[in-house]
Amino acid sequence: MRAGVGAVIGTLLVVAVLASLALFTVDQRENAIVFQLGEIKEVITEPGLRAKWPLIQNVRYFDRRILTIDEPETERFVTSEKKNLLVDSFVKWRIADVRQYYVSLNGDEARARSRLTQIINSVLREEIGKRNVPDVVSGERDKIMQAVRDKVAEDAKPFGVQIVDVRLKRVELPQEVSESVFRRMEAERRAVASQLRSQGASEAEKIRAEADKDREVIIAEAYRDAQRVKGEGDARAATIYAKAFSENPEFYSFYRSLEAYRASFRSRGDVLVLEPSSEFFKYLRNPGAERRASPNR
Amino acid sequence: MSLNDPQWGRRGGGGGGGGNQGPPDLDELWRNFNQRLSTIFGRRGGPTGGEPPTFRQLGGGVGLLVVLVLVVWLASGFYIVDASQRGVVLTFGRYSQTTDPGLRWRLPYPIQSHEIVNISQVRTIEVGYRNNVKSKVLREALMLTDDENIVDIQFAVQYTIKDPEDYLFNVRRPDETVLQVAESAFREIVGKSSMDFVLYEGREEIAARAQKLMQDILDSYKTGVLISKVTMQNAQPPEQVQAAFDDAVKAKQDQERAKNEGQAYYNDVVPKARGTASRLIEEANGYRQRVVANAEGEASRFRQILVEYNRAPAVTRERMYLETIQQIMSNTTKVMIDAKAGGNLLFLPLDKIVQMSAAGIAEGVASPKPVPDVPAAEAPTRSRDSLRSRDRESRP
Repeated sequence: MRAGVGAVIGTLLVVAVLASLALFTVDQRENAIVFQLGEIKEVITEPGLRAKWPLIQNVRYFDRRILTIDEPETERFVTSEKKNLLVDSFVKWRIADVRQYYVSLNGDEARARSRLTQIINSVLREEIGKRNVPDVVSGERDKIMQAVRDKVAEDAKPFGVQIVDVRLKRVELPQEVSESVFRRMEAERRAVASQLRSQGASEAEKIRAEADKDREVIIAEAYRDAQRVKGEGDARAATIYAKAFSENPEFYSFYRSLEAYRASFRSRGDVLVLEPSSEFFKYLRNPGAERRASPNR
Repeated sequence: MSLNDPQWGRRGGGGGGGGNQGPPDLDELWRNFNQRLSTIFGRRGGPTGGEPPTFRQLGGGVGLLVVLVLVVWLASGFYIVDASQRGVVLTFGRYSQTTDPGLRWRLPYPIQSHEIVNISQVRTIEVGYRNNVKSKVLREALMLTDDENIVDIQFAVQYTIKDPEDYLFNVRRPDETVLQVAESAFREIVGKSSMDFVLYEGREEIAARAQKLMQDILDSYKTGVLISKVTMQNAQPPEQVQAAFDDAVKAKQDQERAKNEGQAYYNDVVPKARGTASRLIEEANGYRQRVVANAEGEASRFRQILVEYNRAPAVTRERMYLETIQQIMSNTTKVMIDAKAGGNLLFLPLDKIVQMSAAGIAEGVASPKPVPDVPAAEAPTRSRDSLRSRDRESRP
């Protein structure tokens, strides 16, 4: 009876050991190859529980997710106008054909990376060499990425590798060129600044000139209106005078003359040299002189 | 093993590699089991020679043990999914389901395993700076624009996980991928825009376009990541040219200032001119009224005198004449010469006489005042004349 219990336990243990040797799981994130004495026996691309012969078969796992190659340092490329550009890119790839991948690269990811990096650099060099700086920076960035993607995909096929995406990250000018870019930016800004300032000055001058013009116009128009009003006044006055004085022109003449005399001789500085023979002095000479009907002027 | 065991929390937070799914308890259990086993067997052949265990005892012990192991094994399938999380269950490594928050159970190791993904947590990546916008990483921050200028940009990307299954199974290191894609996409967008657009007008649009591009790329990789926000923390010209840019901004202010000064001049001059203009007009109106009033006054005076004159022309005429002459004579210096009396040439020092009389006035030995009853139409006339002449002078 005791031996029975021991047997049960022993059997269980043996089964567990055998199961652990013969069964294996393939994770959702992995593909696997089953080797039989070094020979590829089966390629497993579906996750789940699998069986193999213990001891004579072994399993290797390969990532089936999208992997990244992102070189930390930027590469120097030459554009069509012989300018240097520093370009940094990353590649998204995945192992598409596990068998091929294993056969060609021995399933070594580091090796795959270095091969892919080489291919990508050479294709990138070629594509950038066809274009000038502005195209690489902006205009044809998409096209470069597309072209590199297509070419690399073609070249990577023999390795069982699928290129998901190639993207340019940093596109920079080398340090020494950057400096001259800074100088140029500075000069441009200065140009903008002085343009703004002179624009301001010109606008200010324009407003001032307008102000002066408006002043002249306003005053001139006012002068015109004022003169018109004054003329009206003068005309009305003349009418009034004419109407009144024409009632007796002869008397007006006398009246106005007297006024004029008075106005003319009004200061002690005026010296009159008189002759007693004048009409005014007729009584001075001769108190009995005959009366005259009308005085002389 | 209670649910309060800290081990639960650790497993919930971890969600790491799928291979290491053996609950740690098993080792312990196995050790206990072995110990128990050795005691059983040891007791049988032990020198102490106690009561040998009966089969019943032994069988009961083993049965109990097996049940216990089974219970513990099954219990190891419990796990907790937090409200902000989702659980992903794998059966023999194959994805089988995504579970909602709560206490969950799966088949224990090695049949099923689970991973926990936090989907509500907003993750942030910072490009061009770390932690603080001031601590810049120039390598990431300096970008080329379309017009071959260089701008200095710091931006942050916030994202959440929209599909835990995709997030776990499609891309190795998805968070790093987000960073790479963010940088690449942002640089692409900046590379297609002009510097002025990036720095001034287009900030929000750049961020929006970059967000869209990032999302498109990440979707094409099926990363299961949702970009919730791209914020441009800072966009400015590089330090080396900062001064020139500041000056340009100042120039803009200068321009505005010059314009305002011009406007100020305008606002000063034109209203003043308007004032002058209304003065001219008002003066003219005043002049008109004055002239007309004067004319009316004089005309009226003349008419009244005329009426009297018409009654007795000769006398009035004589009187007016004499009064006028008297007034003139009394106000002026007179020299009377009887030219007929002597044919000799007279010497008259006229200038001396004029001087004398002028001095007399100055000393205040003034002549008697002009006779007031003389019809003195002169005053208004004179003032009118003088006004007229003043008028003439004042004309521009």
